Amino acid sequence: MSNGRSTLGDVMVVGGGISGIQAALDLASSGYKVYLVEKNPTIGGKMAQLDKTFPTNDCSMCIESPKFIECDRHPNIEILTYTEVDTVEGEAGDFQVTLTRKPRYVNEDLCTGCTVCTEYCPLNIPDPFNQELSENKATHIYFSQAVPLVPYIDERCLYLEDGRCSICEGVCQNKAIDLRQRPEKQVIKVGAIILSPGYGVFDPQLRGDYGYGTIKNVVTSLDFERLLCSTGPHEGEILRPSDKTHPHKIAWIHCVGSRQVLEGGHSYCSSVCCSYIQKQVILAKDHHADTEAFVFHNDIRSYGKDFERFYRRAESLPGVTFVRSYVEIGREVPETGNVTVRFATDSEGVKEEEFDLVVLGVGLGPPADVHGLARQFDIELNEHGFCKTNPMNPIETSRPGVFVSGAFQGPMDIPESVVTASGANALAGALLKSRRGLLDTERVYPEERDVSEEEVRVGVFTCHCGANIGRVVDIPEVTEYAEGLDKVVHAEEGLFICSTDAAASIADTIREKELNRVVVAACTPRTHEPLFRDTLREGGINQYFFDMANIREHCSWVHSKQKEEATAKAKDIIRMSVARTVGLEPLQEFELPVNKAALVVGGGVAGMTSALGLANQGFQVHLVEKDETLGGMARRIRTTLEGVDVQAHLRELIRQVYAHPLIHVLHAATITEASGYVGNFVTTVEAEGQVRTIHHGATILATGAAEYRPTEYLYGEDERVLTQLELEERLAMEDETVARARSLVMIQCVGCREEGRDYCARVCCSQAIKNALKLKTKNPEMDVYVLYRDMRTYGFKEDYYREAAEKGVRFLHWEPEGRPEVEPGRDETGQPVLQVTVPNAILGQSLAIDADLVVLSAAVAPSQGNPELARLFKVPVNPDGFFQEAHVKLRPVDFGADGVFLCGSAHYPKHITEAVSQAYGAAGRAVTLLSHDTVTASGSVCEVEPAACIACGACIDVCTYDAIRWGGTKAAKKAEVIPALCKGDGLCCSNCPTSAIVLRHYTDEEVFNQIDAALSEAWSS
Amino acid sequence: METVAPFAEIVTEIKEAGGDAFTYCYQCGKCDVVCPWNRVTQFSIRKIMVQAALGLPEIELDEIWRCTTCGRCPSLCPRGVDQIDVSVAIRRIAAAYDVFPASVAAYSTAAGSLAADGNPLSAERGARAAWSDGLGIKPFAEGMEVLFYVGCYYSYDPRMKNVAVATAELLNAAGVEFGILGSRESCCGESIRKTGHEDLFKELARENIKAFIDAGVKRILVSSPHCYHTFKNEYPEFMVSFDVVHISEFLAELVEARRLELPGGTNGGPPTRVTYHDPCYLGRHNGIYDPPRELLELLPGLELVEMADARADSLCCGGGGGRIWAETSKEERFSDLRVGQAVEAGARVLATSCPYCISNFEETTLSLGEDAPRIMDVTEVILEAMKGATAESPPTAPDDSPPENDASEADAGATAGNGGTP
Repeated sequence: MSNGRSTLGDVMVVGGGISGIQAALDLASSGYKVYLVEKNPTIGGKMAQLDKTFPTNDCSMCIESPKFIECDRHPNIEILTYTEVDTVEGEAGDFQVTLTRKPRYVNEDLCTGCTVCTEYCPLNIPDPFNQELSENKATHIYFSQAVPLVPYIDERCLYLEDGRCSICEGVCQNKAIDLRQRPEKQVIKVGAIILSPGYGVFDPQLRGDYGYGTIKNVVTSLDFERLLCSTGPHEGEILRPSDKTHPHKIAWIHCVGSRQVLEGGHSYCSSVCCSYIQKQVILAKDHHADTEAFVFHNDIRSYGKDFERFYRRAESLPGVTFVRSYVEIGREVPETGNVTVRFATDSEGVKEEEFDLVVLGVGLGPPADVHGLARQFDIELNEHGFCKTNPMNPIETSRPGVFVSGAFQGPMDIPESVVTASGANALAGALLKSRRGLLDTERVYPEERDVSEEEVRVGVFTCHCGANIGRVVDIPEVTEYAEGLDKVVHAEEGLFICSTDAAASIADTIREKELNRVVVAACTPRTHEPLFRDTLREGGINQYFFDMANIREHCSWVHSKQKEEATAKAKDIIRMSVARTVGLEPLQEFELPVNKAALVVGGGVAGMTSALGLANQGFQVHLVEKDETLGGMARRIRTTLEGVDVQAHLRELIRQVYAHPLIHVLHAATITEASGYVGNFVTTVEAEGQVRTIHHGATILATGAAEYRPTEYLYGEDERVLTQLELEERLAMEDETVARARSLVMIQCVGCREEGRDYCARVCCSQAIKNALKLKTKNPEMDVYVLYRDMRTYGFKEDYYREAAEKGVRFLHWEPEGRPEVEPGRDETGQPVLQVTVPNAILGQSLAIDADLVVLSAAVAPSQGNPELARLFKVPVNPDGFFQEAHVKLRPVDFGADGVFLCGSAHYPKHITEAVSQAYGAAGRAVTLLSHDTVTASGSVCEVEPAACIACGACIDVCTYDAIRWGGTKAAKKAEVIPALCKGDGLCCSNCPTSAIVLRHYTDEEVFNQIDAALSEAWSS
Repeated sequence: METVAPFAEIVTEIKEAGGDAFTYCYQCGKCDVVCPWNRVTQFSIRKIMVQAALGLPEIELDEIWRCTTCGRCPSLCPRGVDQIDVSVAIRRIAAAYDVFPASVAAYSTAAGSLAADGNPLSAERGARAAWSDGLGIKPFAEGMEVLFYVGCYYSYDPRMKNVAVATAELLNAAGVEFGILGSRESCCGESIRKTGHEDLFKELARENIKAFIDAGVKRILVSSPHCYHTFKNEYPEFMVSFDVVHISEFLAELVEARRLELPGGTNGGPPTRVTYHDPCYLGRHNGIYDPPRELLELLPGLELVEMADARADSLCCGGGGGRIWAETSKEERFSDLRVGQAVEAGARVLATSCPYCISNFEETTLSLGEDAPRIMDVTEVILEAMKGATAESPPTAPDDSPPENDASEADAGATAGNGGTP
C-alpha cells in the first residue's frame, strides 16, 4: 500500500471482488489513479472462497491471487480494505466520496503479518471465510493470500466485548495492535465511480428451505466449495458436518431460492448454479471415485462457452444421475444423520432416496443492504434489487459518472464480471480522457545488481500450496533435500509462496543472502511466473535468473495417490531446476513503440460499440466491415426480449460511428494480409476496389456469427417451416401467413447440442419466447407451442418465460431419444397442416399437434471467415469454430497473442446486451495497451549467430509467427530474428542444421544442465 | 406410445371453470413430491396439470377426484400454479357430465342431501339443533356478541356433537352471549364446491348469507376450518363480508381478556403428552397455527409435542376436497400415517380442531388398540382440564355409540340426527 493519504484520485472502485480487482487493474494500467474500496478485511470477494472454477476446473484462488498482488504492487492503485462508503457528493468528473475506515485494531503500517497475535488469541470464533464450518481466532488473517496480509480483530473479541483480554497487544513485537482504534473518516475526490459490490448468496435458513439450519447434513453450495477446498475446514477432505465422515452418496438440489414466485424467493434464474453444481459433482468424484451423485434439477442451463460439454462430462461419470424434478426433504434419519430426499419421476411416481449429504444450489441475490447502497450512490435499482441498467449499455447506472460492473448488474459468471470491469474502464476512460496519466505513478524498482563476477548462489523456495502440494509431497523433506544441493545457499518452505508477504520475503532474502538465482518449487509458470520475476526485480537482480519447478501440476496433482514417489519426483524436478538456473544469463527486455490506432474487424453491434468505446477515449479506429452496410446480424433483429427497439439503437450507433472523426469505416472490405506484432500491426485491406495498408497498435476481432441453415424438419422443402429470425422478420412485416396462423409450433435446439455442433446457442430460448410473446400479443387466440429440451432463460429472462406461460404459450419437453417429427398432413376439417408429433414423458403419450407454421430455433454458427482470420492474426479457434480467448475466466476478451482482442458473437453466441458489454470490455482492454507509448517485449527470444548461419532458410519456413526474415548483406544472406514477433517457441532452433540460432533463456547449455541433472542421480524412487 | 391431440375446446372449458392457473406449470414435479397421496400410492397432480393445459383431462378416472385440496402443492409451487383451482375446474366438467366413478359415487348422495336438507348427512333439517336440547342455548338474536355457526358434523354426528356441547360449555363459562340459527343454518358448502357442484355451493351460500343478514349477524364463530375458510375467503365472492372467527382464535381472545379462566399450576403427576394436528384449512389455507397451541400450552399437566410434519408441512388427514364422503381403501388412508406420527412423537392425545380430521383419526385408532392416542378436539381438551379430570380418563360427556367414521353411510348420520343429547 502506498504511503500517505492522498485525497485526490481519478476513479474509485467500490467492491474488491474479481470484478472490482479487474476494473482497478485496467484503469490503473490505462493511466488512472484508482482507489479500490472493500468492506471486508481483504480483497478477493466470493471468488476467493471457491475451490475450482467451471468449465476448466482451474483452482480459483490460484488464478485470482496473482491479481491481488498485481493490485497490491500497482503504483496507481490504493487499496482500502475494511472500509465502507458513507456519502457520495458531486457529479460526474467531480465526486467527493466520504469513507469510513472500520477499526481493524491492527495498524496496517506496523504489522508484519507474523501472526503471533493469532497464536496467542484465546478466543475461537466461527470462521467467516470457511462459511463458519470451522473456527478461527478472533484475531486472524482473513485467508492466507489476503491483501493486505495483516490480521483484523473480529468484533467478538473479548477486549472489545468487555475489556477482559488484551493478550495480543502484549505479544506483538511491533506494537501493531491498537485495541482502542476508532472508525476513521476519509474523504476522497474522484472523477468516476465503478460499483462492483458483487452479489449476496440466498440464505435458505430464512425460510427453512430443505431443513437448512436444522438438519446438519444439509449444506449450501458455498459451504460445499469450502469443504472441497484444500484451505477449507478439513484441508480439502469432504467431511460431512454431523460426524465428520466421508459422504458417499450426495444429492444436489437446484434452484434453491431461484425461479420461483414464492415469498422470500427470487423469480429470476441465478445463471451460474447449473454449471457450478456440475463442477462440484466432478470434483466430488475426483475426491472419491466411488461417490454416488444425484442432481435434482428442472432444466440444465449450460448456455455458456464449453458448458454443454462440461455438463455431459459430469453426466457421463459413473454413479452420477441427473433427475428432472424438484424435491423435498423426507426426513433426517436419527441414527445415521442421513437425509432422505423425495423426488418425482415421469412414470414411476414419487421416490425417496437416502443420502449422506445434501447440497443446496443456492442462488444469487443483490448485495447486502442494497437499498442503503442505492441511496448512498443515488442510483436506481431494478425490480429484483439489482442495479438498474440500460440494456444497450449495461455498464451505465442511472447516475452519470457512476458505472457498474460484475454481478450487481444481475446474476453472472466470473468472465462476464471481468468483461464488464474492463468495459467500465472504457466508459470511465471516455469520461476522464483529459486527465489520463496526470496522476500516473511509475513503478520504481531497485537498481539491478551486476552478478557477473559472483559465485552462483541459488535460493530454493518450496510451496505447500495450502494442501494442494503439501498433502502429497513431503515439503519439509524436499526443502531439506534442496538445501543440500550444489550451489544452493538457501532453502525455505511456505504455505503459499505466492502470498504478498511470502513474495516480499523472497525479495528480502535475495538481498540478505545475496542470492543470484532463484527457484520457486510450486505451481505453473503459466499463471505465476510474471509474479516471481517481478519479485526478483524487487530483490534487485535480473528477472531471468528465475526458474519455476512445477511440483503441483507435474507432480502432486497427477500422483496424488503415490505420496512417496511424488516426493522423490519433486526432488528430481527441483534438482533439474537448480541445475538449469546455474547457467541462466541476465536478459534485457526491450521497449517497442505503440501505434495508438486500433483496427476493429467487423461492423456489427459489437464492432461498432468497441470502435466507439476506443474513439471516445481519443484513439483512432479503423473499422473494417465485409458487407456494404454496417449492422451485422442485428439488422435482422427488431427488438430484444426486454423490448428495446434494436433498429433504433442500430441507426443511432451507425450515425455515431459515421459522425465520429476518429473512426474510419471501410465497407465491403477483405483483409488480405496481416503482419506485425503488439503495438505495431500492419494490415492490408481491400475495400471498394482499393488496397490500403493500415498501421495499428491493437486489433479487435468482432466478426460475429450467423444463423445456422437447418436441414431438419422439412426446412427448405416446405415453406411453412421457418427459422426464428425469419419469423421475426415476417412479424415485423405484418406477414399474412403469420397473422392468419391458428397454430404455430417452435422447435428448440435445431442444429446444436448434438454431434457436430456440440454447444448451446444460448440465445434461442429467449428468442423463441420473445417471438411467442409477440405472436400472443398480436393474436391471443393463436395456439403457440414451444418444444424444448431445457428452457435456458437464464438471469432475468426467466420472468419472460413465466410471462409467456401466463399468456398461454405451451411448453413441452422432449429428450433426444424422442425428437419431434414434422410431416405434412391434414387437420380434421381437411385443411393442409404440418403435423408435429412429440413424445411426452409425463403423459406417457405422444402429442400430435396440427401446425400452420413450424418455427425452428436454429443454432448460431460461427462466422465462415473465422479460420482465415485466425490464420492471419495467429489466434486460435475452438473446436466449435469460435475464437478462443486467452483464459475463459480471467482473460475473456484477450487472445494469447498480445495486442489482439475479441468480442461479440465471434467469441460465442450472445445477446445484444452481452455483446455490448463485451465490446466495451475489449475496448477497455485495448486501451490498457494503447494508452502507453511503449510496450515491453520478452527477453527470451531467438538470436542468430551470423557466422554459423548457412542461409538455408529452414528457420524461416518453420516459424509460425513470421518472426525470422532474410538479413545480412546481398553477398552474404543471413537469417535475422525480429525480436518483437518472436514467441520463443524454439522451433527454429531445433530445425537449424548448424545450431546457428539460439533461444535465449533456453540455451543448449541450460537445457543440457537440466537433463544431466535428471540423470545425475538414479531416480530416487 | 399412444398418440393424442390437444383439445382446445376442453382447455377453454377448464379455463372458464376457473382453472386457468395450469398455464404457469413448468412441470418441475414439486407438486407430486409434496403431495400426501405419494406417501401411500402413485398419483401425479403434475400430470393432471399437463393434461389440463392440453385439454386432455381423464374425467372418467378416479385420479381427478383424488386431490384433497390440502393446499400443500400450491403453497410450495414455484410457479404459482393453483392446483386446487385446476382440479376443481376439471371436477366441475365431470360433475356437469354427471361422471362419478364408484369411489366418489357418494358425492351425489351428499349433494342430494344438501339440496334437500342443507346437510350432507341425509339428516333432517329440522333436527339441526337437536344436539343442544336441554342445554339452554338461545336462538341467535340481533345484538348478541356472536353467532355460533355450528356446522353439519357438529350438529348431527354423534362423536362431533360432543364438541359442539364442549364449545357451548366453554362459551357459557366465559359468559359469552351467543346464539345459534338452528334449522335456519345450512351447510357452508365448502366441501361440495370442491366436488364440482358449483351451483349447489352458490345455493347454500346464498341461503346462509340470507339467514345471516336476516338475523342481523355481525360476527360468526365457527368450529370447522372448512366453514371458516369458505365464510372468510369464498363468501366475499357474493359481495358480503362477515367478521369470522375460529373457535381457537376466539378462545384465545377470551383467555387474553381474562373472560375465560384456565386452571393454573400442575395437576400433580407426570404431564400428558399432547400433540396438535394442524387441519389443512385452518393452517395452510388460513395461517392459523399458533392460537390452538397457545391454548394447549396454558393447560396444566400437558406437554405439547410436535409431530414430524407440523404447521405448514402438516400432513393432511385425507378428508378435504369432498373426500370425507369418498371411499378410500385402508392402505391409502393418510390418517393412518398421521396417527402413526403422533404415536412416534409419544403423544397420548392427538388434539385437533376439524370434524373431518377427528372422524378420520378416530377411524384409524380403532385398529390400534391400547397404543392409540385419544383423538380430541381442542375444546374438549380445555374443558377436561377445567373440570380437573386427568387426561388419561375418557373425554367429557362420553357417548356410548361408536364414533361416526364413514359419513358417506348417510343413514348413520340420520340416526345420529335423531340421537339424544349427551
